[in-house]
Amino acid sequence: MNYAIGLLVVLVAVIAQIAIMPAFNVFGVQPNFVIVLLVGWMAARGRREALVLIPIAGFVHGLLDSQPLGLAMLALAPLTLMTDIRELRLVDSDLLPAIVLTVAATVVYESTIMVSLSMRGEPIAWLASVTSVLVPAAIANALLLIPVYGLIRIASLDLRERPALR
Amino acid sequence: MRVRTRTWFGFVVLASLLFLAASRVALFGPLEDGALTVAAPIESGLRNATRPVAEFINNITDINLLSNENQALRDENERLIAENARLSEAEQELQQLQGFMNLRGVAEGETFIRADVFAVEPSNSQQLIAIDRGSAHGIRQEMLVLTQQGSVVGTISRVLEHAAWVTLVTDQTSAIGALIQESRAQGVVVGSPDGTLTMDLVRETADIKAGDLVLTSGLSGQHPPNEVIGEVVDIQRTPQQLFQEVRVEPLADLSRLETVLVLSSFVPLDTGSP
Repeated sequence: MNYAIGLLVVLVAVIAQIAIMPAFNVFGVQPNFVIVLLVGWMAARGRREALVLIPIAGFVHGLLDSQPLGLAMLALAPLTLMTDIRELRLVDSDLLPAIVLTVAATVVYESTIMVSLSMRGEPIAWLASVTSVLVPAAIANALLLIPVYGLIRIASLDLRERPALR
Repeated sequence: MRVRTRTWFGFVVLASLLFLAASRVALFGPLEDGALTVAAPIESGLRNATRPVAEFINNITDINLLSNENQALRDENERLIAENARLSEAEQELQQLQGFMNLRGVAEGETFIRADVFAVEPSNSQQLIAIDRGSAHGIRQEMLVLTQQGSVVGTISRVLEHAAWVTLVTDQTSAIGALIQESRAQGVVVGSPDGTLTMDLVRETADIKAGDLVLTSGLSGQHPPNEVIGEVVDIQRTPQQLFQEVRVEPLADLSRLETVLVLSSFVPLDTGSP
């Protein structure tokens, strides 16, 4: 793969996440385009590229969000472990495990932010957060994954057909 | 699980912790400030370009909500018309309109810093917005942020040199001392994970009705008094409870903020510096 393309896509995804996604309200939450992109990338193009893109996405995310630098990277770090699950090939599909991974990654990401807030002494309504943040966000991201995964698959075919871009 | 993956995971976690430790001493403050400054115009452009599309999609998905809201607004309108008709004296009518139309005068000595909103915190666990003014423009931690019409948006929670993050009043970590304008009943307005506002610790005996305005009380010394937070939309009273729970609706739509005013003349008690 051309890592520059991956880097560019991640950069655009982070900016889009912060600038555009808050305007799209699904089930009362905003979908996390960065998580969806990383899982979609992992499912469509394999673990090797995803392993590189995950920390980069976390770092860029951290530069542009309101959290301390490093927190987004920490919240996305478990995705690196999830790349192995994709390789197990438990089912004859890339999309189904990706949906499950999206749900898991969303829960881990939002939970990490909440734990961090709690450790900083902020009051967290845990039960309300599960029903009004974790569950809706997981569903919204899983729904967004389907078109994103499809687009990455199509783009990957294009890349393979044009060796000059590889 | 492959050893290489676990090693990579360990490396990423270690790097994250190092960044977190460094950010505690603001080691990467200039880098974050520079990134936000560079990204701000791009993010503003993207926000403006995609807003009509987002509103169109949201309107389709929220069709039931909009229908209910429309009915509620019709009812509210009818109530206001009837109430307005009862007002006989010009002064009373003016005061009523000022309250409902959310007009706010500028008191002597009050100064504001105008700022544009260019980003929103991407995590669903927190509700923050980024503004394009920072410490270089006089923004300080805990300053109160208002809409252009004068209702409370939130407080400054993180300041960089050329940008700042505002914790919205609806965020679950937000708590503001408040009072009901009509009955003077006091309490604390707190946010929640789903973005609803509740006024807690309101005495069970306090006479509160839907439509009452909720203002900052200024008692904590963290916020100036008499700034409009929102209006009462629902009251939950339970006979056995010492307090009643009051649901408050912010006057402004906090999801569509474009420009805000930072009240720079009020110095919160703890910060000590203007």
